[in-house]
Amino acid sequence: MAEKSQKKSPLSDVKGHIGALSTGFKYLIDPHRITLDYPAEVMELPSNYRGFFRLIDEKCIGCSLCEIVCPSNAIVMTQLPVAQPAQDATRPPPKFKKRPLVDWGMCIFCYFCVDVCPTEAFEPSQVHDISYFKESDYRPTFDAFLKLPESPFKGSKKVVPKVDEKKGIRYEEKVNKN
Amino acid sequence: MMDFLNLIPVTWLPLLESVFYALVFPGFIAILLLAFFIIWFERKAAARVQMRYGPLWVSKRTGGIAQLLADMIRFSFQEFIVPEGADLIPFVFLPGFLLAFSVLPTLFIPIGPYYSHIFPAGYTLLLSVAFTLVIPVYLVVLGWAADNKFSFIGALREAYLLISYEVPFILAIASAFLLYGTLNLVEVVTIQERSLPGIILNPVAALVFLIAVIRATGRGPYDIVEADSELVFGPYVEYSSLMFGFVMGVPYIELYSYSLLFSVLFLGGWAPITGVGFLGGLIIPGIVTFVKAVIVMCALVFLRGVYPRYKLDKAVRAGWSWVFYLALIALLLSAFMSRVL
Repeated sequence: MAEKSQKKSPLSDVKGHIGALSTGFKYLIDPHRITLDYPAEVMELPSNYRGFFRLIDEKCIGCSLCEIVCPSNAIVMTQLPVAQPAQDATRPPPKFKKRPLVDWGMCIFCYFCVDVCPTEAFEPSQVHDISYFKESDYRPTFDAFLKLPESPFKGSKKVVPKVDEKKGIRYEEKVNKN
Repeated sequence: MMDFLNLIPVTWLPLLESVFYALVFPGFIAILLLAFFIIWFERKAAARVQMRYGPLWVSKRTGGIAQLLADMIRFSFQEFIVPEGADLIPFVFLPGFLLAFSVLPTLFIPIGPYYSHIFPAGYTLLLSVAFTLVIPVYLVVLGWAADNKFSFIGALREAYLLISYEVPFILAIASAFLLYGTLNLVEVVTIQERSLPGIILNPVAALVFLIAVIRATGRGPYDIVEADSELVFGPYVEYSSLMFGFVMGVPYIELYSYSLLFSVLFLGGWAPITGVGFLGGLIIPGIVTFVKAVIVMCALVFLRGVYPRYKLDKAVRAGWSWVFYLALIALLLSAFMSRVL
């Protein structure tokens, strides 16, 4: 292989350089971009995409199954004081309830907890592209965990990738059917 | 205002003119303004060739041209960290020296026919070349002073490349000297005005000059010294804050002074425009030379998007083989063309 490259004539090298430069110049004038203009254009996610989820407090029974099944130990069951004890005369009212709290920095979004929950107390969403300024913000408080985070793509365009024979990949704006 | 001008002794005027050239127009301030454009152009051109967007979100309407400004603001609020084992005095002061020395060659390169200053006009080519060739020595010292293996390897690579590109570069300059028969850059342009631009008279010398410039400034396929995927940032790796901005600007300023020299030596400088007076003799020729230099710079930084990086040994071998042969051919061609002229 090395001998072969040595035998090449210098003229073929010059031809190769001119070819490379003209191809580069062609792309400089008429770029074939295959990347997404990310915050302005967002790819349409599949319906089973796993994003942030929230806890529905009324459905949760505090069984700790989500904590046990969590592979990255992101969920920790926490004791929380009960604000309004239930009016039940037969039993003494419980003073504490056990509720899961999640660390988004450790969560791998495997959704084992969502699947394992016997009362379907986690509400899933497709919101995934969220970052925080402080490390402590990655561990939401109980009240914050009851709400879904807002999607950062309010004004962005939803696009669908399409295979293009000339450019390789092309993004088309998603047309809403309804 | 006029009273103030009368107060200045007449003997000082060439000195003041030189200070103006070095600090304002072909010199420092023009370079700073140009650096914003050329760094943006380099990123954008490489991005377009490589099917990306490049800088876009800082002032989106203009295609992200304020990206460098944003970077500079960020640098200026960073902490300047001096590594523990660093040689303090060279480490702290060399970026400033480098910046000053990279601006200095523009002092000797004329941008108009009426270019008088305190330096001997008959040696402007020699002086500008001499001052451009000082910078690599400082770079080697800089890489040694930081006490970091990446910066040291980068400095060694600079030293290796230096001996391979300087000989063809000097030969290209020598062939230009042989072609025009003068070291006075104003006369060089007058000769080109009379006949043809130097790139037509001796295209081989122009090619060798450009290859040497790409090597000296680390553009295109020869960014071996900075090699960000291997050496992080070569000799400059330990710099942070505004000092990083300084050392990042040095190759671009070098590129600018080389391009200015190229536009005077081979593109005919201010050639099509010859006028008299303040506007026709000073402003318009300056702008024409500047625009030619900017076009050369754009063409050179565009190469970064097209070529992959050369290995060090291949670059050095090329420098001592075909680039060297081309330089010798350029010398012969100059000897022939100077008979014809």
